Amino acid sequence: MASRFWTQGGDSDTEEESDYDEEVENAPVEVTAATAASKYISGNASDSDDSEGQKRVVRRVKDKRFDEMSATVDQMKNAMKINDWVSLQESFEKINKQLGKVMRVTESDRAPNLYIKALVTLEDFLNQALANKEAKKKMSSSNAKALNSMKQKLKKNNKLYEELINQCREKPELFEEKVEDEQEQEDEDDDEDEDDDFDEEPRNQESEESEDEEESERDGTESGPGWEKMLSKKDKMMDKQFKDPSQITWDIVNKKFKEIVAARGKKGTGRIELVEQLTFLTRVAKTPAQKLEILFSVVSAQFDVNTSLSGHMPINVWKQCVRNLLTILDILTKYPNIVVDDMVEPDENETQKGADFSGTIRIWGNLVAFLERVDVEFFKSLQVIDPHTREYVERLRDEPIFSVLAQNIQEYLERVGDYKGASKVALKRVELIYYKPQEVYVAMKKLAEQDNGGREAESGEETKTAEENRGPPAFLVTPELVPRKPTFPENSRTLMDILVSLIYKYGDERTKARAMLCDIYHHAILDEFSTSRDLLLMSHLQDSIQHMDISTQILFNRAMAQLGLCSFRVGLVTEAHNCLSELYSAGRVRELLAQGVSQSRYHEKTPEQERLERRRQMPYHMHINLELLEAVHLICAMLLEVPNMAANIHDAKRKVISKNFRRLLEMSERQTFTGPPENVRDHVMAATRALKQGDSEKAFDVIKSLDVWRLLRNKDNVLEMLKVKIKEEALRTYLFTYSSSYDSLSLDHLSKIFDLSEAQTHSTVSKMMINEELHASWDQPTRCIVFHDLEHTRLQALAFQLTEKLTVLAETNERAIEARIGGGGLEGLPLRRKDGQDYAAVAGGGGRWQDFSFSQGRQGSSGGRTGYKALGGGGGYTRDRPVRSGGYQGSRHQDGPGRAYPTSSTARGGQMDGSTRMVNLNRGVRA
Amino acid sequence: MAAKYDLTQRIAPQLDRHLVFPLLEFLQERGMYPDEELLKAKIELLNHTNMVDYAMDIHKSLYRTEDVPQEMMERRAEVVGRLKALEEGAAPLIAFLQNPNAVQELRADKQQNLQILKERYQIGPEQIEALYQYAKFQFECGNYSGAADYLYQYRALSTNSERSLSALWGKLAAEILMQNWGDALEELNRVKDIIDSKNFSSPLNQVQSRIWLMHWSLFIFFNHDNGRTQIIELFNQDKYLNAIQTNAPHLLRYLAIAFIVNKRKRPQFKDFIKVIQQEQYSNEDPITQFLACVYVNYDFDGAQKKMKECEEAILNDPFLGKRNEEGNYTTVPLRDEFLENARLFIFETYCRIHQRIDMSVLAEKLNLNYEEAERWIVNLIRTSNFEAKIDSENGTILMEPNHTNVYEQLIDHTKALSGRTYKLVSQILDQAQAQPAR
Repeated sequence: MASRFWTQGGDSDTEEESDYDEEVENAPVEVTAATAASKYISGNASDSDDSEGQKRVVRRVKDKRFDEMSATVDQMKNAMKINDWVSLQESFEKINKQLGKVMRVTESDRAPNLYIKALVTLEDFLNQALANKEAKKKMSSSNAKALNSMKQKLKKNNKLYEELINQCREKPELFEEKVEDEQEQEDEDDDEDEDDDFDEEPRNQESEESEDEEESERDGTESGPGWEKMLSKKDKMMDKQFKDPSQITWDIVNKKFKEIVAARGKKGTGRIELVEQLTFLTRVAKTPAQKLEILFSVVSAQFDVNTSLSGHMPINVWKQCVRNLLTILDILTKYPNIVVDDMVEPDENETQKGADFSGTIRIWGNLVAFLERVDVEFFKSLQVIDPHTREYVERLRDEPIFSVLAQNIQEYLERVGDYKGASKVALKRVELIYYKPQEVYVAMKKLAEQDNGGREAESGEETKTAEENRGPPAFLVTPELVPRKPTFPENSRTLMDILVSLIYKYGDERTKARAMLCDIYHHAILDEFSTSRDLLLMSHLQDSIQHMDISTQILFNRAMAQLGLCSFRVGLVTEAHNCLSELYSAGRVRELLAQGVSQSRYHEKTPEQERLERRRQMPYHMHINLELLEAVHLICAMLLEVPNMAANIHDAKRKVISKNFRRLLEMSERQTFTGPPENVRDHVMAATRALKQGDSEKAFDVIKSLDVWRLLRNKDNVLEMLKVKIKEEALRTYLFTYSSSYDSLSLDHLSKIFDLSEAQTHSTVSKMMINEELHASWDQPTRCIVFHDLEHTRLQALAFQLTEKLTVLAETNERAIEARIGGGGLEGLPLRRKDGQDYAAVAGGGGRWQDFSFSQGRQGSSGGRTGYKALGGGGGYTRDRPVRSGGYQGSRHQDGPGRAYPTSSTARGGQMDGSTRMVNLNRGVRA
Repeated sequence: MAAKYDLTQRIAPQLDRHLVFPLLEFLQERGMYPDEELLKAKIELLNHTNMVDYAMDIHKSLYRTEDVPQEMMERRAEVVGRLKALEEGAAPLIAFLQNPNAVQELRADKQQNLQILKERYQIGPEQIEALYQYAKFQFECGNYSGAADYLYQYRALSTNSERSLSALWGKLAAEILMQNWGDALEELNRVKDIIDSKNFSSPLNQVQSRIWLMHWSLFIFFNHDNGRTQIIELFNQDKYLNAIQTNAPHLLRYLAIAFIVNKRKRPQFKDFIKVIQQEQYSNEDPITQFLACVYVNYDFDGAQKKMKECEEAILNDPFLGKRNEEGNYTTVPLRDEFLENARLFIFETYCRIHQRIDMSVLAEKLNLNYEEAERWIVNLIRTSNFEAKIDSENGTILMEPNHTNVYEQLIDHTKALSGRTYKLVSQILDQAQAQPAR
């Protein structure tokens, strides 16, 4: 291959070489995408190139570039002749690409005349084509499309060179032969091609990347460790500049730094290369401030290494980045007079002030933003990595590194007094631990304590040796001042309390809301249902969550799911069902919890939506087990729905507690043959069938055989609770169903059938009597239930239904009239509405949590009146807790009429409300 | 056992120092805690007030010595000195206020009053401020009546709303300590109005103030004649109930007692049961537990046990266990009332779900003997519309089932409809008539 000839040559040669090669290889790729016509032409082009290459005429790179360019111009001219806009468009893109190369080679800041001339011709031709309406109509659709897009691109592109084009139009002769002279002008290279059409951008980058890859590949095969060599070339160049350590001054470093930074984002500057160069500079930095400044650039350059939104930063870069940030913190700790700020533009020479300078030095930078970015990258990498691999586990072990960084930054910010920033960082730490049960937390703590130290030292040494090999030792050695090991309190709850109270005190709305949700989630994990419910209700997050961003909404959904699981574990079936039913109402649990994509039958997602959704996914280790969730939801629904159905046989449709469950039940009843249960759903359906017959034992056995129970920590207690609940509900179902057949039933008998203690049976039956679900009363001397023959006959029941409907009709009439003539005389309605308004007004005033710090309230303080400034946790919520009315479940859960947390009293209309309340993730996109 | 249900430690932080004294006195009387501890607590309390003489006395009785620590002596001197200084500062104003002729010149308009004071008596804001300080100092020294008077006058003159509020609190405390329940109640309502007014600084403050208010009000409500109704009116307001639930669930005890001894508040009582149900987890009070037994779990044996605990708790509660001494024997009126009503509660609920009850069982449940129970029930049947009969042969009570007829129910359901429809029609007609006129 020709390349061998040049490999050992100068920098530019290799580059040219690879470019040239790429030309050949790229051609077929283009061909497949393009039309037949272009195939012909581009094929031609590469042919001619090839033949030129074979001649091995040693020419200046510059000339070569120009030849390429002129060849393209020729192509364009050909295309113009046959009015082929498709190929013309392609050539145009090509020439733009080549322009970049040419300019790089010539190091000139103005576009070559050849290019300008081509632009001028193109523009003329375009105008001509546009003017000719007839011809335009005749064009094929693809051709016409190309013409239109060409028109826009050219317009945009030409704006950049407007001046030159005008010159060219005025004095075309100037642009004929002066080419060579102008190219001699040497200057900083400045690429103007950047502002290309937006559509073009990704494609350009792609090709650039592939170019890079090819380059590296080729080098790898051709000349051994070519990759390092490429980099070291630049280093060599820098070494030349910084040959003598004693001669390096602040100015030199600063100048070089500016230079490198200016090259950032340009084509042709490799991102990794940039990082390397900057890292080198950090070692030669003269003052701590300068080192800091450069380090900031290094970090942001490291963030740039990965450009795509869905991909993640390479892990080793990530680790280096974290290490750099730690070094930054070291410097900041050592020199407290250096202030990091992103608001003001610091002086040009601020960093010149040396270590002994005592005044404040301002450096541009934003630690919080950096940390957030690091977190995002960590999160993304976990999203992308396959959770069933070793790699994932390895990646998870990096968590302590991140946590130490966050801890240090938070401490620093607190020291500086930036509590707002500190609260943001604290949130990141909260988000790291909120989903961990105590066991996992302890494991992480252990890992952080033993493993991290060793690994850190190891990797540190690695880099150190690597550094020593390259370049001189750093001038400015910064001792490791900040701890490199995270410290965790014994209990995850303690840590949460500390962090969360900081956030409640200083955070902004969103931070606080998120922290609150994490807090709720964490309490729920620890089985503290009442605390976590109170937090949820007090914060009024249910009302405001719809206005928050999607990721917070997902967090809310997760917290709700966890709360449901928690209340189930504690034995509160109704509450559990209320928490979970919304999640399941639309059948999009996966989407709502961001644990996988669920297909919707009715709605096709656009690729854009899908991509967005994928970006929101939770990493695997944070998932809530969906099977367990479904089991809990269905069991709760079963426990509530079966007696309910038995109680309302006459009009089964009237009171539906769980639509979802009803639907499943119908489906399973329609089956002619029911096999043994396989999945969660089958199990619950089998249990339901048993329960309907009052067979509590069988129902419990079926439920018990589910293997999701092993996921519960206190499995035995939960199952025990479940058993009792099932028995109770079986008893209720039995009484509802068969009470009409009995005149009396003895307590002993009942408690024997259902294997319940007498007290439990008595209590359950008494409750039914008081609630007038069961028309019966106890006969105390004989310990019997005596049934009053009060069952309505069918006719009577229907009559009652009729009256109810009449009432509804009358109400509707009244409302209709009211809407028409505007109120008057109907006391009931206006009054209620007024209540609601009043309520809303108060809610506006209260319902915010800035002023209360929860943990402080909880920790409490004793002493005189003075000690009570912070006590009284629920500041916000007390003002607008709702009117205590109706609702079997209690007013706390009833946030005003028809709002939030459903109660059983809203069961009729609640179902509908539910769907609006649960966060709809795609609403924004669809709307 | 006795101390288990003692709420003093939870209530005390919400009270003024001076208000804690009566509580400690009560505890001393009941002898629930060692005397020594209580005395120490008292000294501790007094250390931050100006009642140094009193502290000295307690110190003497505690350590059984005649010596008084040096610091107390010093403090005494300091207090006296300061009192003098403050007195001087406020002297002109006090002199003015003691002159009835002069006071009559004051009008309702505050600005005008200030004008007059300034022009005729050379009394400016400093003197008024001094009056406040003086009143406060008086209060600290235990001279409550003086403090109450001065604070009252200060409020008439002051324009600083925040200061007025603290003056109001001070007045309230002074009235409570002087046991002027009527006046105290007035002050209480005034404070309440201010707290409820919308422009209160922050919700947090508001909650805290409400909680203070409720704690302070306990003194008044359980001593005032009409207090038991009013405590329900105050505590059962949503805002206050929320405050209780959030920050002071122990106050539920007092509300529960008030509900139990107050027969007329039935509708609110149902809602209150729900609150109790919610707070069950955070509150271990025998009285609320009793209600939970009767109305939530229908556990009558449990309720019976709780009743005994309740009695204990009431006797040991400084607010509830107030004694009436008549001749030789002391009665605790609230306890008797509570027991009576609690019994009634159990009985009522019990009857609702039974159709035949054995008298002896019932007597046991009610903590009565057979004869007493029979008399009690007969009384009930006679006085109220309790539909039951005693079958003395079998020793049982028979309930009369009171189920409404199906047809009656149907009629009830539809009765209102015709009226509503008629109204609707008349509305439409009105509208129709009004339109042509237009």
